[in-house]
Amino acid sequence: MTSAVRRTMVWRCGLTVAALLAFCTAARAGGQITFGDTTNTSANDGPPFFGFVRDGDGAAVGDARVTATVKSGGALVTTSNGIGVYKISGFAKSIHPDDIAISCAKDGYKEANVVRRPSSPGDTTDPIEVDCYLQKE
Amino acid sequence: MTRARGAVAVIAFLLGCIAAAPACAPALTGSVGSAEEGAMEGVLVSAQRTGSPITVAVVSGEHGRFRFPAGRLSPGQYSLRIRAVGYELDGPQTVTLGAAPADIAIKLRPTADLAGQLTNAEWLMSMPGTAQQKRPLMECMSCHTLERIVRSHYTAAQFIPVLARMAQYANNTIQARVQTRVAPQKVNDEAVAKLAAYLATINLSGGPRWNYKLQTLPRPRGRATHVVITEYDLPRKTIAPHDVRTDAAGNVWYSDFVENVLGELDPKTGAERDYPISILKPKFPTGSLDLEADADGNLWLALMFQAGLARFDLKTKTFRVYPVDAALNDDAMQQSMVMPRADHVDGEVWTNDVARHAIMRLDLKTGKYRRIDPFAFLGGGHAHAPYGMAVDAKNNLYFMDFGDENVVRVDAKTGAATVFPTPTKGSRPRRTMLDARGHLWFAEFAANKLAMFDTKAESFKEWEAPTPYTYPYDVFCDRNGELWSAGMASDRVLRFDPQSGRSVEYLLPRPANIRRVFVDNSTNPVTFWAGNNHSAAIIRLEPLDE
Repeated sequence: MTSAVRRTMVWRCGLTVAALLAFCTAARAGGQITFGDTTNTSANDGPPFFGFVRDGDGAAVGDARVTATVKSGGALVTTSNGIGVYKISGFAKSIHPDDIAISCAKDGYKEANVVRRPSSPGDTTDPIEVDCYLQKE
Repeated sequence: MTRARGAVAVIAFLLGCIAAAPACAPALTGSVGSAEEGAMEGVLVSAQRTGSPITVAVVSGEHGRFRFPAGRLSPGQYSLRIRAVGYELDGPQTVTLGAAPADIAIKLRPTADLAGQLTNAEWLMSMPGTAQQKRPLMECMSCHTLERIVRSHYTAAQFIPVLARMAQYANNTIQARVQTRVAPQKVNDEAVAKLAAYLATINLSGGPRWNYKLQTLPRPRGRATHVVITEYDLPRKTIAPHDVRTDAAGNVWYSDFVENVLGELDPKTGAERDYPISILKPKFPTGSLDLEADADGNLWLALMFQAGLARFDLKTKTFRVYPVDAALNDDAMQQSMVMPRADHVDGEVWTNDVARHAIMRLDLKTGKYRRIDPFAFLGGGHAHAPYGMAVDAKNNLYFMDFGDENVVRVDAKTGAATVFPTPTKGSRPRRTMLDARGHLWFAEFAANKLAMFDTKAESFKEWEAPTPYTYPYDVFCDRNGELWSAGMASDRVLRFDPQSGRSVEYLLPRPANIRRVFVDNSTNPVTFWAGNNHSAAIIRLEPLDE
């Protein structure tokens, strides 16, 4: 099993859990009654992003701010978990993944390097792994 | 510092009493008890003078004693009311107050209709079912209590057309006035069928009694009894006070979710005055939601299905109405929010377009609206809904994504959006306020949490509401850093200190459907204000301790 396939399987398992959680979310949409109708289609989604935030020794950095910035404007900011992992759901399909830049930050650190793992050519759903390295100031 | 301020207040009060001794004697004191419990703590005793719109309530303390503060009850005949779950008033039903103070003994007897006393939160605690099954009931509370559902006799099949019909009602519907949407609302048949099947398991379709035990929350104790609550009845049952706030002169203003008026209340006399707003779309639901003040203290209203915004000049007492441009103004157009706080920066006011899950900017010079899709760069897997709004000093917008789980910042100059998902998934953040430190306080409606987003550090903190199924609608951070919150479910006002984690919940004298909350920081201690959206009343809550 290649690492790309393994990565995809792990991510899809995560997506399944996320979809189940989202299904638990009931009515929404600004006070409009939907009686539990949730739209959770990913048909319009581009590939999700995930990765690790690590320090110079390779140790996980939790609670780091991870920002995905869209070249044409807009950004999504999330936080790495206790083992340094972050996940960002898909952006709009119309946005090319190369037009999304990942950066990370945490007080007491500065960004040292961002490594984007190669993704399967032509596969628009394969999760994109981008790891971010921080260095203590 | 807080203690010192409290001590100063007590000393000032006592000095005032010495100077005017007769005025400081409480007009009404007494005890509350029952054969079952003896002296009872935590019973709300309400007194309303005949013909007056004002009802004052206090709570009995540890030994069942209660005391209305001096100056709150003038001579006259008063009807009495109590709230203590499981009990009803045996007597006396009325009391006549004269020049001399009165002391009465109130007797309670067990109620024969406990179900009629349960809050929405208590129904949710009582009814069987999974969190997933109960979750859609959060929406029902917008228009009616859950008691209405559980007392019904509909089977699952009979529920389906009822739910489909209600989906076509505007969200600014109350029992006293149902309003129907002009643009039809799509309904997911599968979701409706699933909900109908569940509702038929918790109502009386299977027999004359509920097949589950009714659970109740405890009565107030200790600090939760140190409070005075004043209710102001409004002149018509069709008034639905949604957002309430005070102005610099101490007058109380409210948006009316159902009628097309801005309301003003004199808190000293209870006198109410309406300021009618022009009808922009005659066949559409009326009423406004968000009520905000601009930097000059003038008031702005979001006109819901009337489609637009209105600015009310406090000096001239006149409106300037900004209808949504014809090109954008279709049958689904709806503005629930307005944020004018920093319109002096760039001459623009923020609002939302509920139907398109978008935000809009009103150019005050041209009166034109511009729509911005803040989620355009995100995928389609989530239903978004811009809701509660706040702005910083540069008129950058922060809004709550009530449909999902995000706090979103929109740059005033570029319109670029930055999305910050809350730590709790599916939190459905609702209303918000931004304090001077750059802390954005907000209620996580579906997560039953209060939360803070630090706009400088870009980090979150969350606190669970102490009572399950509170579903907080809004939160206000007062001058002491304490949080005040309430909602549509528990009939309680939550006061929470995020530093210590200490909380107190004040039970309200009547069933209460609360939306926006407001704290007047100019009083000592602070004063909490809210509208009782389903009962045509304004609520003032005065804690007796700082």
